[in-house]
Amino acid sequence: GVAPLGPVPLSKDNVYGLGMLEASYHHMPHPSDSEKLRQYLPRNPCPTPPYYPQHPLPHSDSLEFFTRLSTETLFFIFYYLEGTKAQYLAAKALKKQSWRFHTKYMMWFQRHEEPKTITDEYEQGTYIYFDYEKWGQRKKEGFTFEYRYLEDRDLQ
Amino acid sequence: DRAPGGPTSMMHSGISQAREYDDPPGLHEKSEYLLREWVNMYHSPAAGRDSSKAFQVFVQQMHQQGILKTDDLITRFFRLCTEMCVDLCYRALSEASHNPTLLRAKCFHTLDAYVRLIALLVKHSGDATNTVTKINLLNKVLGIIVGVLLQDHEVRGTDFQQLPYHRLFIMLLLELNAPEHVLESINFQVLTAFCNTFHILRPSKAPGFAYAWLELVSHRVFIARMLALTSNQKLGVNKSVSSVLQGWGMYAQLLIDLFKFLAPFLRNVELTKPMQLLYKGTLRVLLVLLHDFPEFLCDYHYSFVDVIPPNCIQMRNLILSAFPRNMRLPDPFTPNLKVDMLPEINHPPRILTNFAALIQPSSFKKDLDTYLKTRAPVTFLSDLRSNLQVSTEPGLCYNISLMNALVLYVGTQAITYIHTKGSTPSMNTITHSAHMDIFQNLAVDLDTEGRYLFLNAIANQLRYPNSHTHYFSCTLLYLFAEANSEAIQEQITRVLLERLIVNRPHPWGLLITFIELIKNPTFKFWNHDFVHCAPEIEKLFESVARSCMQQKQP
Repeated sequence: GVAPLGPVPLSKDNVYGLGMLEASYHHMPHPSDSEKLRQYLPRNPCPTPPYYPQHPLPHSDSLEFFTRLSTETLFFIFYYLEGTKAQYLAAKALKKQSWRFHTKYMMWFQRHEEPKTITDEYEQGTYIYFDYEKWGQRKKEGFTFEYRYLEDRDLQ
Repeated sequence: DRAPGGPTSMMHSGISQAREYDDPPGLHEKSEYLLREWVNMYHSPAAGRDSSKAFQVFVQQMHQQGILKTDDLITRFFRLCTEMCVDLCYRALSEASHNPTLLRAKCFHTLDAYVRLIALLVKHSGDATNTVTKINLLNKVLGIIVGVLLQDHEVRGTDFQQLPYHRLFIMLLLELNAPEHVLESINFQVLTAFCNTFHILRPSKAPGFAYAWLELVSHRVFIARMLALTSNQKLGVNKSVSSVLQGWGMYAQLLIDLFKFLAPFLRNVELTKPMQLLYKGTLRVLLVLLHDFPEFLCDYHYSFVDVIPPNCIQMRNLILSAFPRNMRLPDPFTPNLKVDMLPEINHPPRILTNFAALIQPSSFKKDLDTYLKTRAPVTFLSDLRSNLQVSTEPGLCYNISLMNALVLYVGTQAITYIHTKGSTPSMNTITHSAHMDIFQNLAVDLDTEGRYLFLNAIANQLRYPNSHTHYFSCTLLYLFAEANSEAIQEQITRVLLERLIVNRPHPWGLLITFIELIKNPTFKFWNHDFVHCAPEIEKLFESVARSCMQQKQP
């Protein structure tokens, strides 16, 4: 049989343990309990039909995958998944596509054309930027991008 | 470590201080005010990176309130803060009408701030190079949280909530494992403190915390920090090989704590839904360990299998299937595989359990050694059974731990003995010795229950190619061949077969031994009655035989 040595009566401690375990079964740890607080996209597990994908695509946590996402998706990840590996990969992918982060405005800029002026301290010209409040790309002419606000850390 | 004032005593004083309530007047209000201040500062945009600016300001406030005057006041401050955080969670969780995501966010709002405060106080206590103060403070705070938890668990009973403690422990663990120089230098002591904490809160002591406990113990950061260092052979500045092995030992203890809690329920096959879930989680952890840290399971297999009930075949197979990653196992189904030609079978496996010390009482160990040396007196053999027997209650007759230790000890002594004679273990060299006397006597003299445990103790050594696997494989086959009754042969077959009819993985040595038994005509396996006792058993043997005999497809 499945219990070749036969059952043994449970001790008082065992019965108590089983009762406490059963009680705690009704308030199990939640996946979010052991991860950083997700301000905008909290975990919300719910039953989904089995014919929907239950797992993300394989290798979707690679830079290669992120470079294939649209810029808007990357901006979404950057602003809504703060402090995660996804945010880091999104920033890397944006940089690869010549977007530069402005640490004062907290927005991403891309040259629309060759800058009119370039000095050691700044460059000036027409830029495309992503406005996270209006949630869209905007164009700005005659903008001065001061290099002291340029986020230029080498993301390893 | 256990010296007066050492980290462990700090933890225990923390635990007992969690029950002291004679606070000086006004301290509760002060602590409440300070905690609320800190939570606001932590969440304010001006807090600075890692709350550094806020912390500088806050320490001034703590000074002003007189909290930092004595160790006693600091301890009380932590106890009061822990209790306030816990109370807040209970209040939030009782508001059933609210959105559960918001309720959790509300709890985390305070808990995360408190964790950051603890982490910063640990990091900045004493001067930068003073590790003792930092570690003592950490142990103290962990002790206080443990004390509050145990009391809460006891007082609230089935209303106990794991959430606040789970969050405090995991977030503090993550904060203190950040890649920072000051933390790297105390990392081993930090992990030791958490291991001691988890050991004190093991499921048998705090069953209402068991699910959170398993989450903590199996957290990827914790497993990686405890076990990963040797696997890529990158030892940091303060990591010596011995401290890595200590880390393995501490982690093994936590798994043993888990197995011990599960054992009585698994043994009885009384699996309520909550118990099934905990069991499933355990299997998952074992699978991760088997995949990522097989050497760890190899080294501690003895201690694990010693506490896992004999009927947990698959759980045991997971552990016994582990083998060192640099090893290539020959396919057991290769026709004419010559096991004795494999170079690995001359090397003993590493066993990080002192199993010889488990042979108790010491007088029995002394008699055993005398018998192994002199093959006398014969009364040692006739007394063996009573030495292993502990009761007359069916199912509880034998001291399983002693049986396991005896079998492995006699086997390792036999291998050494054969080597000293300039030979290597084989079907011919293992016979006619004091060691085989003991094994044959156990096979013949024990009753069904005892023999089952004895044969299981042997089968637990049938793992990857090594000298133990080879020796015990030969021993089991020899016991089959030399058996004076069919009952022994039937039981040997049963022990092997029941480990093979479960789902994978199957240990290599187990397959090798079973294939040898059914293929080698000297054993006349197919002539035995028990093979044909029932049509379904016969079919089962045929199907196993078919899968064992089949040629591997190219």
